[in-house]
Amino acid sequence: MAGPIAPERVSETSTGEESALDRPWVTVVWDDPVNLMTYVTFVLQELFGYDEATATELMLQVHNEGKAIVSSGPRERMEHDTNRLHAYGLWATYQRDA
Amino acid sequence: MKPFRRKGDELVARLVDAEADIVGLLLDQLEQLLAADPADSGGDPVLERLLPSGHASDPQLAAEYRDLTEAGLRSGKADDLAMVRATVPPDGGEVRLDAEQARAWLRTTNDLRLAMGTRLGITAETEPPEIDAAGEGADDENSQLAVYYWLTAVQGSLIDALAAGRGDRR
Repeated sequence: MAGPIAPERVSETSTGEESALDRPWVTVVWDDPVNLMTYVTFVLQELFGYDEATATELMLQVHNEGKAIVSSGPRERMEHDTNRLHAYGLWATYQRDA
Repeated sequence: MKPFRRKGDELVARLVDAEADIVGLLLDQLEQLLAADPADSGGDPVLERLLPSGHASDPQLAAEYRDLTEAGLRSGKADDLAMVRATVPPDGGEVRLDAEQARAWLRTTNDLRLAMGTRLGITAETEPPEIDAAGEGADDENSQLAVYYWLTAVQGSLIDALAAGRGDRR
C-alpha cells in the first residue's frame, strides 16, 4: 500500500556539495509516555522483521534519547513505514536524512 | 481479569462482567471519536495523537501525508475496533483470540490508552492511583487513571504472551 509516486520538489535549498535530493529519507520514532517499552519492541519486530536484540536496542534509543531512526530509503517507502507505525499508535515521522 | 496467556494457537483471557462493560463503553467512545468529521475535530489533542502528523516541521509534507493516509488509518482503526468488540463477551467471560484478532486487540487497547493518556495528561512520572478496597480515594480522575492502568495490564499481558509465542517458534 505504498503511496503514489510523488514528484520530487526541487525548491529545497541545497546545503553544500551534496544535493539534498541525493540524501535518503528516514523514518523516526519519537518517545512518548504512553506506549509500553515491550510494545514498541514488539511492533518494531513485527513491522520491520528486526530480531529481538536490534528491536530492543532501537526501543532503548527512543526511550533514552527521545528518538531513533528505524528505517531509511526512498521517500515513498518512508511514508509507508510511517503509516504502518501510526496504525500501531507509535509516534513516527519521516524526513530527509539530516 | 485473568491476564492473556497463550493456549496452543490462541491467546486467552477472562473478563468479569464489569470489565466487559467498561471495555464496551470505551470502544463506543473511541468509535465516536474516529467517526467525527475531521473538519469539526481539528485541534482535538486526542485525535492528533491517534492520527499524528507525518512530518515534524514541513507543513506541506505533513498535509500531503494526511491526504494520502488519514482515511485509511481511520478505517483501519474502525475495523480493529469492530473486531475487538466481536470478541468481548457482553456479560463477561472468556476472550479467545487468534493471531489476527490479537493484533486488533493490541492496536485498539493502545489507541484507548493513547486517548485516555492524552486526556489525563499522563507523563513518564505518573503513578497508579491509590484506591483501597473500600473505594476510598476514588474520585473521577482517579477512577479513570485506574481504568488506564487496568488497560495497561491487559495490553501488557497480551504483548508478553505474543512475544513468548514468537520466541517458541524460533
